[in-house]
Amino acid sequence: MSRSGPPQNEPLWGDIPMDEPAAPSDRSKPPDWALPAWDSLPVEELVAPRPPRQVPAGDSAPPSRPEHRAEPPRAEPLQPEPLRPEPPRAESPRAEPLRPEPAASFALRILQVSEITRAVRDAVRSEAGLRDLWVEGEVGRVTVSSAGHAYFTLKDERSQLACVFFRDDRLSSPFEPRTGLRVVVHGRIDVFESQGVYQLYVAAIQPAGFGDLALRFEALKAKLAAEGLFETARKRPLPDRPAVIGVATSATGAVWHDICHVVARRWPLARLVLSPCQVQGEGSAASVVAALDRLTRWGERCRADGRPEDAPAVVILARGGGSLEDLWSFNDERVVRAVVAHPVPVVCGVGHEVDVTLADFAADVRAPTPSAAAELVVPDRTEVAAVLRELVRRAGGCVAGVVAGAQAELGAEARALDRLQPSAQLAQARERAGYLLDRATRALRGEIGRRAETERRLASRLEPVLLAQLGWRRVALERSSAGLAALGPQATLNRGYAIVRRRSDSLIVRDPAEAPAGERLSVRLAKGEIGAIAAATAADPGPEVAPAPKRGSR
Amino acid sequence: MSDQVATAPAVDAASLTFDEALAELQRTVAELEQGGLALERSIELYERGVALHERCAGLLSQAELRVQRLVERAAGELVAVDARAEEQTD
Repeated sequence: MSRSGPPQNEPLWGDIPMDEPAAPSDRSKPPDWALPAWDSLPVEELVAPRPPRQVPAGDSAPPSRPEHRAEPPRAEPLQPEPLRPEPPRAESPRAEPLRPEPAASFALRILQVSEITRAVRDAVRSEAGLRDLWVEGEVGRVTVSSAGHAYFTLKDERSQLACVFFRDDRLSSPFEPRTGLRVVVHGRIDVFESQGVYQLYVAAIQPAGFGDLALRFEALKAKLAAEGLFETARKRPLPDRPAVIGVATSATGAVWHDICHVVARRWPLARLVLSPCQVQGEGSAASVVAALDRLTRWGERCRADGRPEDAPAVVILARGGGSLEDLWSFNDERVVRAVVAHPVPVVCGVGHEVDVTLADFAADVRAPTPSAAAELVVPDRTEVAAVLRELVRRAGGCVAGVVAGAQAELGAEARALDRLQPSAQLAQARERAGYLLDRATRALRGEIGRRAETERRLASRLEPVLLAQLGWRRVALERSSAGLAALGPQATLNRGYAIVRRRSDSLIVRDPAEAPAGERLSVRLAKGEIGAIAAATAADPGPEVAPAPKRGSR
Repeated sequence: MSDQVATAPAVDAASLTFDEALAELQRTVAELEQGGLALERSIELYERGVALHERCAGLLSQAELRVQRLVERAAGELVAVDARAEEQTD
């Protein structure tokens, strides 16, 4: 029997007319756990004869014989047609209505097997609590028929329950029953008469604990947020270039390897200190807390030992992707508090981009993945190297400016010196300038030559500096040249004049009376000094000044 | 250099840590950019800057990641044991 186009979203108890008045009946009394729908349970269903609705033999079979269940029908009509007749099946014509027979009447005669099954079926159907229920259990063996229906058992420690998950529902479900999974199943209980078994007809299935975890997540998040643990204000900045990085993660697995790889590539100057922990399963939350605590103690120990540079400056808390349950320890309150209380900033990289845990909220920085956490913690050495080169370029630009200023100054000085002709002074200055320029050229060669394009960029920056320097040097130079010119007796000497002094007292001789014959004199010429002795008075036609060939002559 | 202008005795750049060398390089460039320096001082600072840069660049290109693992001894004492990160070669 094949069902064509069954309504997908009909309530599974839709075959029970809800507008029927309830009548007093033992069976109509809801158990404690029954849903409100129970109250409107139609007594007529229970007491009136009705056409058989059971599934024909061969349409459905116990899970042990899946080959016979190729096309099991839904066991109940999905339309709210309580009395919808089904085609009579070969075995189903009945001589008499089954219910409601008082139990006593069963005892008075011999019953047919089908009567018992039917009585059980009706009893089951009359329990509203069995028509719409949620069951949690572990999935046992699963078989899928060629028609696409899934048959599986749901079990707990003491019992098991046969379940049927019809094709259409199964294909539209995001979640498949798989052996060993804990699941929560929504559906109804009914009796499959031909086999005399009751089964759970599954409408929906989902992993166990999902709703529960989500509720706990939100509740804990609200509580911790109210305490201010997730406040942006208490997030600490990460160090620029941590020398030591603590890592709390599993010692085995890809996450640790990925972190090592990223840091080795980006910033191998750092040192990684792994504090291994268990990142999923029973006890993982406590293990994560212990790992963070070890890093805290290690940092304290390093500081106490007088080597604070060995203490971790930042900590990565990481875990690879996984199911909500796998990541659950990162939603544990103890983990959240350990992250918040950690003495150095914590970067949390748990799961994939889409996974958000409370530890992420608590962390100083949340990274989408473990590798991203590693990238956030250290700079990229190629970028740092570029910054360093830029610093040196700037330094080179500054020196180039100073050299240019000095060269301009030197040129002006050289011209002034040329005029004055103090060759010794000039030679010395040239030597000094030559030395400085050699040194400057040595220092700049290569650095500046190699980086012409940067220089151009720098030029705009340096221009003000350069101009200012040139400016004050020029002023200084002009001031000193003017001074020299004003003072200069040398200029007079250069024109051939001489200065005559008495040896005895260095008095400048302005009057022949000051230099009687025999007076020892000193004559200052433009390029040196000669000694002389006064020979005669002005009346004598002798030489004015007696040459004293002690020193070199002209 | 025999005629260096008197200055704080410079530590050999090769003995500095990366952070020390970088900090000094930044100070050096700042001093140069401030201007008003004698030629000798400018060149001296520049040469120091180049040495500091070489130190930093050398550290960046030659450093090898060090990996340790915290091990807890019986009495709760922590020891950092050098470890090799698996397959760091690629």
